[in-house]
Amino acid sequence: MKKALALIAGLVLLGGAPQGAIAQYEGKTITIVVGFKTGGGYDRTARILARHLPKYLPGKPNVIVQNMPGANSIISANHVFSVAKPDGLTIGTFNRNLVLAQLTSVPGVKFDMTKFAWIGSAASESTVLAIRSDLPYKSFEELRKGGKTVVIGATGPGANTYDFPLLLKELLGVDLKIVSGYSSSSDIMLALERKEVDARAGSYSSLQSFVDRGVVRPLVRARAVEPGIEKLPVDESLAPNARAKAIMALRSAPEVVGRPYVMTPGTPDAMLKVMREAFAKVMKDPELIAEAKKANMDLEYMPADEALKIMKETLSQPKDVVEAFGKYIKFGE
Amino acid sequence: MIEAFFEGLLLVLQWKAFAFMLLGIVLGFWVGLLPGLGGTTTLALMLPFIYAMQPIEGFAFLLGMHAVVATTGDITSVLFGVPDEGTTAATILDGHAMAKKGEAGRALGAVLASSLVGALVGAIALALAVPVVRPLVLSFGSPELFMIAIVGLAFIASLSASGARGMMRGFLVGGLGLMVATIGQDPQAGVARYTFDVLYLWNGIDLVPVLIGIFAIPEIIDLAVRGTSIAGELPKGSLNKGAFEGVKDTFRHFWLTIRCSLIGTFIGIMPGLGGAVSQWMAYGHAAQSARTDEERRGFGQGDVRGVLGPGAANNSKEGGALIPTVAFGVPGSSSMAILLGGFFVLGLAPGPDMLTKHLTVTFSMVWTIVLANVITVVACFLLLNHLARLTTVRGQLLIPVIVVLIFIGAYTGNNHYGDIIVMLVFGAVGWLMVVGGWPRAPFVLGLVLGKIAENYLYISVARYETAWLTRPIVLVLIALAIAVILYPLIQSRRSRMKEAARHA
Repeated sequence: MKKALALIAGLVLLGGAPQGAIAQYEGKTITIVVGFKTGGGYDRTARILARHLPKYLPGKPNVIVQNMPGANSIISANHVFSVAKPDGLTIGTFNRNLVLAQLTSVPGVKFDMTKFAWIGSAASESTVLAIRSDLPYKSFEELRKGGKTVVIGATGPGANTYDFPLLLKELLGVDLKIVSGYSSSSDIMLALERKEVDARAGSYSSLQSFVDRGVVRPLVRARAVEPGIEKLPVDESLAPNARAKAIMALRSAPEVVGRPYVMTPGTPDAMLKVMREAFAKVMKDPELIAEAKKANMDLEYMPADEALKIMKETLSQPKDVVEAFGKYIKFGE
Repeated sequence: MIEAFFEGLLLVLQWKAFAFMLLGIVLGFWVGLLPGLGGTTTLALMLPFIYAMQPIEGFAFLLGMHAVVATTGDITSVLFGVPDEGTTAATILDGHAMAKKGEAGRALGAVLASSLVGALVGAIALALAVPVVRPLVLSFGSPELFMIAIVGLAFIASLSASGARGMMRGFLVGGLGLMVATIGQDPQAGVARYTFDVLYLWNGIDLVPVLIGIFAIPEIIDLAVRGTSIAGELPKGSLNKGAFEGVKDTFRHFWLTIRCSLIGTFIGIMPGLGGAVSQWMAYGHAAQSARTDEERRGFGQGDVRGVLGPGAANNSKEGGALIPTVAFGVPGSSSMAILLGGFFVLGLAPGPDMLTKHLTVTFSMVWTIVLANVITVVACFLLLNHLARLTTVRGQLLIPVIVVLIFIGAYTGNNHYGDIIVMLVFGAVGWLMVVGGWPRAPFVLGLVLGKIAENYLYISVARYETAWLTRPIVLVLIALAIAVILYPLIQSRRSRMKEAARHA
């Protein structure tokens, strides 16, 4: 079934698209399927896009958001991959780590990230490790040599709050103790304020206000970068060997494609083209940028081909690297 | 401080803010009555409208809407035994039982009046707590939060029938609730527990379909079997005078209402416990007020105190829940998470500043909740007797409507048919429990507290090993948990001794 679908998808993509299918959205409704509940970062990004996308689409269709949470987005990705019709009226936005779920063959995955009709990505997530300012470590080097166990608060395996420090501990030998089970990154922040934990990893955007207030100080980051953290050391560059480097690179690869937007495989080329152009334009829309800024959302446009390239690179890793990666990292959240 | 308290009120009373609040209330009321469109979704839909508003107006609008949903949820709980959201289910046990006895008006009056008292007490407690709230919240670490969950579980003792057999059943059912709470991927090792390779179960079971199944479905079966209206064969005239009686009940058990309000506020302030917990703990505390075994058995059969407790806590927690959101940026519920998004849109940063520099704004939020509650309660009172009359409508006419309501209500949370199956499965479980005389409340308590207890216990042990057991607040809470368990035993023993003395 999966193969047949992929085959059909491939044929359609290879020029079998009906040439008459010029995207005409007048009076239609486009649904953005979000793989998480209402209120989170993925949901908020989808809702802001849904408001501004219509003006760049021919015929100004309605764009609505439908939340389809469950199994850390796998359910929604399966839905958009094989249940939704390839009629250009369904867009999906899911957990950026789904490509890692596919890579490590998580049961239940029925999609292929490289076969989706990619629209692009709306943001990149830069992960940092931030430590309480009252602790003596001023740099990552000092932390590494510190000689005292540093307690890290985390939500759970699969989240960057857990996986990023885990690799620092396992591959770079930093003396960390990871305590997981906090319900959200803001919950960890509170634990940090009451000195239950010493440090936490997370997206820089969620930590920035605490850095500005002098509560925490960022020490090390992953590959994805944004203004303010350019000078921090990158975990990969500190790796002692090629294997460790490959594992860290694999963990952070999806973060550059932080808010993936895709359509069902087999969506006619003409419609996909219209959608990609609209997406590229809406990401530059001054009103959207102003609103996103007000809502404390960092948006960053990445075109479809770049996102697809990263997916392909991630999925073409040698088997031993994937196996080693799977030992440390579990898909979750 | 006091100045800011009253300035906050004046801010809300400005015509523009007040108008937006009224708009929010009307929308919230509408949404509360429409099935399937939850409060959280509505907040998310309305968030874009605040871009053009001032902070006070924006929050008056959002909070007005948010505050109303909780109250209207209580109404459907009482009338039909259908919980609208996870936070209004405890009202069903006695509220709907009263409706079946023909006391729907009284139950609705009680739930609204206690909601009002709860909202007011919550606001006052909060105003008094502002100077100490940051140290208070920071002194409750993971070990303390774990112990609060244990105190909550201890309330199973008072929610079970008396005697060794009753207790055993209560704790067994509570254990089952804890077990159901472990379904899904665990946050420590990432292991999938009880998921049977079903994707739907990965993130655990959602509370709402379980609550709808376990409470609403047995009621529907009961209604269908009886073949009468909800209020049975009562003469029509006897219904109407009830609402005011419920208000009087609130004052008859005034201290209980106040205590449950304070429980609600306290649980609301504690980040990471959530609304469902406060309501069930308040219900547990209300059940403690039963003095004799006979009174104990009356809980769940329509004791008005079982309505007052959760009613009060349900609305007093809202003020409290603002605190972790406002002062620490830690939202206590998904609705609060959306409100937090609203903060940034309105150009406010949650944090210590909100308790000092922007204290007036914080108080204006508290006042919005209070005023929105007052307005809703007054508006509801005008409708009460009409609403209560719904319980005299023939069952055959009502059942199709309720069935549609519960299916939509269970489905829309996740848009997944799995929720329907969960609702039906727990409907069967709930029905068997009712038939077999097993209490349902301990199950929900276990389910609601399971994840909290597990995670905070893990964090406590991982972080402090055994040293957390000797922290002073932990010790106090251990003593409290023991007292909560022993209290009903002592009470039933005392009542037996009195009984014996009278006969002798």
